[in-house]
Amino acid sequence: MKIRNILIISAIAIALTAISIWIGNLAYSWLPPQGAAESQLVDNLFSFLITLGAFIFLGVTGTLLYSAIFHRAEKYDTSDGPPIEGNITLEVVWTAIPVLLVFWIAGYSYQIYEQMGIQGPMQAMHLHMPMAMRSANAAPMNEDMETRESEDAGNINVLPVEDIEVDAKQWAWVFRYPEIGITSTELHLPVNHRIRLAMQSEDVIHGFYIPAFRVKQDIIPNRNIDFEFTPIRIGKYQLTDSEFSGTYFATMQADVVVESPEDYKKWLKEAANRKPCTANNQAASEYAQASKQLIKSWATVAPAQAPVVNYSNS
Amino acid sequence: MTNISVEDITNDVAQHEPTTNWKRYFSFSTDHKVIGIQYIVTAFILFLVGGIFAMVIRGELITPQSDLVDRSVYNALFTMHGTVMLFGWTFPILTGFANYLVPLMIGARDMAFPRLNAVAFWMIPIAAILLMASFFVPGGPAQAGWWSYPPVSLQNPTGNLINGEVIWLLAVAISGVSSIMGAINFVTTIVKMRAPGMTFFRMPIFVWNVFSAQIIQLFGLPVLTAGAVMLLLDLTAGTSFFDPTKEGDPVLFQHFFWFYSHPAVYVIILPVFGVFSEIFPVFARKPLFGYKIVAVSSLLIAGVSGIVWVHHLYVSGTSAWMRMFFMVTTMFVSVPTGIKVFAWTATIWGGKLRFDTPMLFAFGALILFVFAGITGITLSSVPIDVHVNNTYYVVGHFHYVLYGTVTMGMFAAIYFWFPKMTGRMYYEGLGKLHFWLTFIGTNLNFFPMHPLGLQGMLRRVSSYAPEYEFWNIVASVGGFLLGVSTLPFILNMISSWMHDQQAPKNPWRAIGLEWIVSSPPPVENFEEIPVVVGEPYGYGKSEPLVAEH
Amino acid sequence: MDSSLIAEELKYSSDEHTHDEEGNKMFGFIVFLLSETFIFLGFFTAYIVYKTTVPNWLPPGVSGLEVRDPAINTVVLVSSSFVIYLAEHALARHDLMKFRQFLLLTIAMGTYFLVGQGIEWSHLSFGFTTGVFGGMFYLLTGFHGLHVLTGILLQIIVFGRSFIPGNYDTGHFGVNATSIFWHFVDVIWIVLFVLIYIWK
Ligand code: HEA
Ligand code: HEA
Ligand code: CUA
Ligand SMILES: [Cu+2]
Repeated sequence: MKIRNILIISAIAIALTAISIWIGNLAYSWLPPQGAAESQLVDNLFSFLITLGAFIFLGVTGTLLYSAIFHRAEKYDTSDGPPIEGNITLEVVWTAIPVLLVFWIAGYSYQIYEQMGIQGPMQAMHLHMPMAMRSANAAPMNEDMETRESEDAGNINVLPVEDIEVDAKQWAWVFRYPEIGITSTELHLPVNHRIRLAMQSEDVIHGFYIPAFRVKQDIIPNRNIDFEFTPIRIGKYQLTDSEFSGTYFATMQADVVVESPEDYKKWLKEAANRKPCTANNQAASEYAQASKQLIKSWATVAPAQAPVVNYSNS
Repeated sequence: MTNISVEDITNDVAQHEPTTNWKRYFSFSTDHKVIGIQYIVTAFILFLVGGIFAMVIRGELITPQSDLVDRSVYNALFTMHGTVMLFGWTFPILTGFANYLVPLMIGARDMAFPRLNAVAFWMIPIAAILLMASFFVPGGPAQAGWWSYPPVSLQNPTGNLINGEVIWLLAVAISGVSSIMGAINFVTTIVKMRAPGMTFFRMPIFVWNVFSAQIIQLFGLPVLTAGAVMLLLDLTAGTSFFDPTKEGDPVLFQHFFWFYSHPAVYVIILPVFGVFSEIFPVFARKPLFGYKIVAVSSLLIAGVSGIVWVHHLYVSGTSAWMRMFFMVTTMFVSVPTGIKVFAWTATIWGGKLRFDTPMLFAFGALILFVFAGITGITLSSVPIDVHVNNTYYVVGHFHYVLYGTVTMGMFAAIYFWFPKMTGRMYYEGLGKLHFWLTFIGTNLNFFPMHPLGLQGMLRRVSSYAPEYEFWNIVASVGGFLLGVSTLPFILNMISSWMHDQQAPKNPWRAIGLEWIVSSPPPVENFEEIPVVVGEPYGYGKSEPLVAEH
Repeated sequence: MDSSLIAEELKYSSDEHTHDEEGNKMFGFIVFLLSETFIFLGFFTAYIVYKTTVPNWLPPGVSGLEVRDPAINTVVLVSSSFVIYLAEHALARHDLMKFRQFLLLTIAMGTYFLVGQGIEWSHLSFGFTTGVFGGMFYLLTGFHGLHVLTGILLQIIVFGRSFIPGNYDTGHFGVNATSIFWHFVDVIWIVLFVLIYIWK
């Protein structure tokens, strides 16, 4: 009897583990493409947490559903169940295991966090946490990444950090490339470079968020926010404002173009040759349209001047 | 104090109004049972109001374009939806149940301060009417979300002194004062008014959880009030506490807000945990597993809840040590919560289960809670939250708790105590229909929000990229199904209350002081204050709960 | 306590309707004050955060606050806590005359404090909307002043009640609560004084 139970429980545990691992692997596919080095780190952590979460969820609900199916009272059975009031061993175990799990999850999250080295607004923090400075690229990643890494590794270390200024306002993004002094409403980035943004807001709190990069940072007005990440995949992505910023919040988007360093240089040159002109701004045009409408909607903050930039995609 | 004689009370009862007179529900009654029902009905009406806002939100989101309503209307709708649901639905309904049940469960005749109790209740309709009135002021109601973060909340496009944001702050303040009054009342009642023999470790878990939740109110709400006062002054008197252009600090408001509003989610969930702890033993016919540790874990949750708030501010420019410290504390909430979950599972295990409507709702809610708790743990991990913060992943997480656990838990409570409160039985068939519509609707509505959020769809947007359309359609269909699911419930409640299907004193054969009095209980509850001699969950032990005379 | 009082006690404790109503009220009141403490803690925290982070803390032209007069004010307010204690004590001995005298003295001292605060306000060169500092200064002193005013009003009510014959024969909840409230206002002021006037 005893041994049979142990066997059954072990079999169930193994099956649960297998299913959980499968779900954990599936979790990668729920996320957008991995556009930055940070994405891979986050996705690994996410997959791990989903594996663990699936195990806990299936374990608890499986037990509950088993009871629901097999421990039903007979129709006319009004007797009570066994008056078991508790079991100290069991209670200690199910307090201790979550404590250990918490340490495990927290430890792993901390590790990933260090590797990401997201450059927060507090420059000082890096003095206390030299680990955090390490670029995400230095972290070990899954197979194919690692091989790509080693090919590019030389490059990454030689190429300088790319400094770009980000200006957020209701409701537009403007990117300034200080070295050549051009502005754009589209964010162009060289692939495999560490990007360092200096972000500022002119009015309210905005949030800088590129889902494919798994990075997000609020931009607090009257503060300089520094932010770093490393795009590793050529392509076009979306940047959105992630902190609710008023009426036309939903329109505050920008394209992000990650390209090879050569294309990037070319783009910079081309943009420098363009005359600054007013960019299209969805908030501004919706606002203008609304003010023409017969039935006036509620008063709203007027959008800031549409940005005047060297380069805009429209 | 516990020295109680009763002769002079019993004949007192006749002088009060009969308990069946419906008019007293519209009066300034000081009877905790009347007030309890007043709270519950008011809360449910506000749930419908918040639900109608949600229907418009889901209607707008069924297509990627912003087409159904104007953008500013959309912003007002989610602000009002969140505000009404939290301050109008969850808080009042839980206060309602606590009001109705706590004196009965601890063997008291009423709350410690009955008049204060009535005043606290009547502030709720006032706050609600005020909030609704803000739809009619120029500029419309508040549109800065239920967090009301400055500087957005300080931008006052109409320039009027009376504007939606000011009204919003006043309404929230009134509801806050009402909650503090309630908290003082509950804590005093529980500490000072227990019947003889009702020691702390004989109190039903529901009472333990109300107690823990009210302690959170007492230390949390005042801090929110401080922040709200400063915001109101910024908005009306020209100060610059949170105005970054004049050296103010908008992030400080976020700390004020979440210092309370995070613990507030435990204020909401703890009484629901209490409801679970009442319902599972009854329908499993087994004692609550590990009563003492379950009781104490409520206080632990309340305690830890005070030091986790920064998990809402991971991306607000918080320093690294803060991110890490609050990540660990947040994760630790899963320990006392896990103790409860496992205890309920062990209670159900091997019982003689019966799935009447209250049990169905509680059981379904428990499953959805475990799911929501696990998404909560993923959120507490900084690197993951940095990705999904302010996306629909968060919206999915909290609707699984707020709808899947709290609202469904409240339905469980309504069905469970409906016979006690009204003296009538509800219709089991309609109840089961309600459950299945709700359970399916909840998952259809809120599950798709997780993949949406992981893909990067932001919350608080009225238009979105076309690639998110599919899951949004599913969510909207689920949302409408949830709207429909309330209809059998309303029908059930009204027709059962009208109908004369008398409920017995104790239809569930449950143990507890509220079940030894008639349904509905008489004014002043007990003919004789009971002397408690038994355990709260003595199922299967055939020992008496109270001393016989 | 004489034997008649004890007999009365016994009578009350056996009568369920008056069971410990006063005890409940006192308990509730203390819970309320604990909760109220957290509002002040909120404001104090805000003050500390601003003071340590705002670059130009003091408004232009202001080099610091005058400390002497507020210090005198502080001494008066803190002493009044002892005076109201004496009043309470007198009442416990059923010495109504002494009770009234000490209470009047407390009211006078509280009023002195308020007037002193008012005079200080009227001489300041900065206002409520002068930056974060001005806002914080008036918010803290004003919110505390409101509590002092409430305390004085409570004392006046308690004082007036002492003229109703037999009012304090059955219990002193009102007086005890007023007294506790007054100590609370005092303690808050000491923290406030240290934060605003002493901490440079
Ligand atoms: C009643 C409501 C309620 C409850 C109970 C919870 C419970 C939890 N919540 Fe949730 N939360 C909200 C309501 C609630 N939340 C709301 C409304 C918001 C958003 C507000 C807004 O932005 O508008 C939010 C947002 C929110 C965030 C911020 C996300 C963001 O904005 O970026 C985070 C981050 O940490 C979080 C975490 C958690 C955690 C860790 C728990 C934990 O308490 C969960 C604990 C439970 C379990 C873990 C399951 C059971 C345990 C076991 C089976 C034991 C074993 C398990 C482990 C060891 C993992 N929540
Ligand atoms: C207890 C709290 C609670 C509850 C119960 C709900 C219930 C629902 N919520 Fe909730 N929601 C919040 C609390 C809650 N919500 C909070 C705090 C926010 C954040 C706000 C913010 O960002 O500031 C939010 C935000 C929020 C959003 C995000 C908006 C955005 O960010 O842009 C969405 C979107 O789908 C949504 C949908 C729903 C739906 C469909 C329901 C449904 O479950 C509602 C179902 C109920 C009814 C429908 C009852 C009415 C029924 C009738 C009147 C009869 C039938 C009618 C019809 C069929 C039309 N909610
Ligand atoms: Cu005490 Cu009635
Ligand atoms: Cu929280």
